[in-house]
Amino acid sequence: MNAALAVIRKDLRVVWRDRVGWLTTGAFATASVLTYTFAFDLVSGDVRPLLPGVLWTTFLFAGIFASSQAFQREVEQGTLDAMLISPVPASVVFLAKVLSSVMALLVIEVALLVLATILFDTTLITLELTLIVLVGTAGYVSLTTLLSTMGSQLNSRAMILPVLALPLLVPMLIGAVRATGAALDLPAGTAPWTLLLVVFAAWSSLAGALLFPLAVER
Amino acid sequence: MSALARPFVPLAYWGFEHRWQLLPPLTGVAMLALIAGALIAAPREAVEGEVQRIFYIHLPVIAASYLAFTVVFVASVVVLWKRDMRWDAVARSAATVGVLFTALTLVTGAIWGKPIWGVWWAWEARLITTLLLFLIYGGYLLVRSMAAPNDEQAARYAAVFAVIGFLDIPLIHMSTRWWRTLHPDAIVLRARPALPVEMLVVLLVGLIAVTLLALWLLVLRAETERMSQRTLSLRAELDRREGI
Amino acid sequence: MVENELEFLFAGFAVFWAGLFVYLIILQARIRDLQRELEQLEERLEEAEDSSAHSQTNAQADPAPPRSSVALADENAPTDTNEESKRPAGEAGTGA
Repeated sequence: MNAALAVIRKDLRVVWRDRVGWLTTGAFATASVLTYTFAFDLVSGDVRPLLPGVLWTTFLFAGIFASSQAFQREVEQGTLDAMLISPVPASVVFLAKVLSSVMALLVIEVALLVLATILFDTTLITLELTLIVLVGTAGYVSLTTLLSTMGSQLNSRAMILPVLALPLLVPMLIGAVRATGAALDLPAGTAPWTLLLVVFAAWSSLAGALLFPLAVER
Repeated sequence: MSALARPFVPLAYWGFEHRWQLLPPLTGVAMLALIAGALIAAPREAVEGEVQRIFYIHLPVIAASYLAFTVVFVASVVVLWKRDMRWDAVARSAATVGVLFTALTLVTGAIWGKPIWGVWWAWEARLITTLLLFLIYGGYLLVRSMAAPNDEQAARYAAVFAVIGFLDIPLIHMSTRWWRTLHPDAIVLRARPALPVEMLVVLLVGLIAVTLLALWLLVLRAETERMSQRTLSLRAELDRREGI
Repeated sequence: MVENELEFLFAGFAVFWAGLFVYLIILQARIRDLQRELEQLEERLEEAEDSSAHSQTNAQADPAPPRSSVALADENAPTDTNEESKRPAGEAGTGA
């Protein structure tokens, strides 16, 4: 348990040390929202039906962006190898990475919710919505963290990560967009979207914890 | 092993040893039987007419691709468990067959759908899942081909992706189905009424023929992969010796 | 009842067979290239083994440096097969 906490603390320190990188991710997310505003003319008419989609595609792309950045840096600095040689089990390393990434991304996502509240004149800072964002983020971060463990020999791996991740994230995206819509009182049908999100998050973190050791071992 | 399965084991070994003599002619004969059955023997369908005959290829092909993707999963598990590169060859070959057959399914489905429904594509859960399968396993092949055939770590990474991809498929299918029930389509893939016996027979022939075809293609591709692996290890050996 | 149904039927079957044949042709070409390369490599490996076995017996009989027989092996292996064999295998490494 102490080892796990130590790893988490170390990962948070890494996140803090790399705050420029995370700031870049935040800037990217902001630029995305603006791009959607112009592309889908989010100025006129009722914007609310489009907001869940805008938010979640932004979160997803930002998360993938951050994932490949972070892993690239770890491989370059050899910190990943150092971590794996240590007696801490690889699954714990994985979960700690996921936890620290979720926390960092959550900061960006909440900031984005505040921005969207202002830009689109819709209340987006609710507990319900924040919980949905948390569970959804846990789901996709587990998967992208697992998939970004590509060997350093592979070129163009930055390009391939979205290609690999996005089809697998379809259930999470559908669930998140619908659950967010339901939280905003948009028609979302009767399917248990939040349950889907929870199941996806649980499944992806479990599968990631089991497969990560296999993916990184030499 | 159960007493039921035991007599088949030596048969399986014999079959594997003689695969190059057995598979091409068996596949050829079965495929010819399928063509004859689909175009001649099968009766004309009442509602859809002659175009319906594409079904005798379309359904077996998608079934074979599901089988192929299952093989990818099993082979990938073995790669992770035993670190045996022969199973990486099997996984990659099965994925190739699966991707090829999924593509053929989508195209034959579109060709069948256009005259019947008037559109090439419909956002129906099964079509969406099939398209996603194509993308997922296409992605698998892409990422595997970015590294050398004998790169063990790359093989392991691809295997991890294959495993998590396969496990994700039920979630994908469920979520796209729920998603589509929000906006029911004008086009509803109606539940087919029970097929007459003649059609079922042709369908069975089709399933056997296309499965044999898939098996043959898999074996062929796996052999190619093994040859690739061998050339690389030979070259490494030569470099070692000639570098003295 | 259904317009152009025979054309679509033909197209459906044609696409299936065409797709299959294209793939088989590509696969056959790659098998041929790989077989050729394997033969070349196995030849070179035999030569390398022969010359090293040769140089071992030389070293036993005559303590003079075996450098001459190794140099001989290098001369025998034509330098351009390296480029030649690298290219097809490079293509064989990628692709489905």
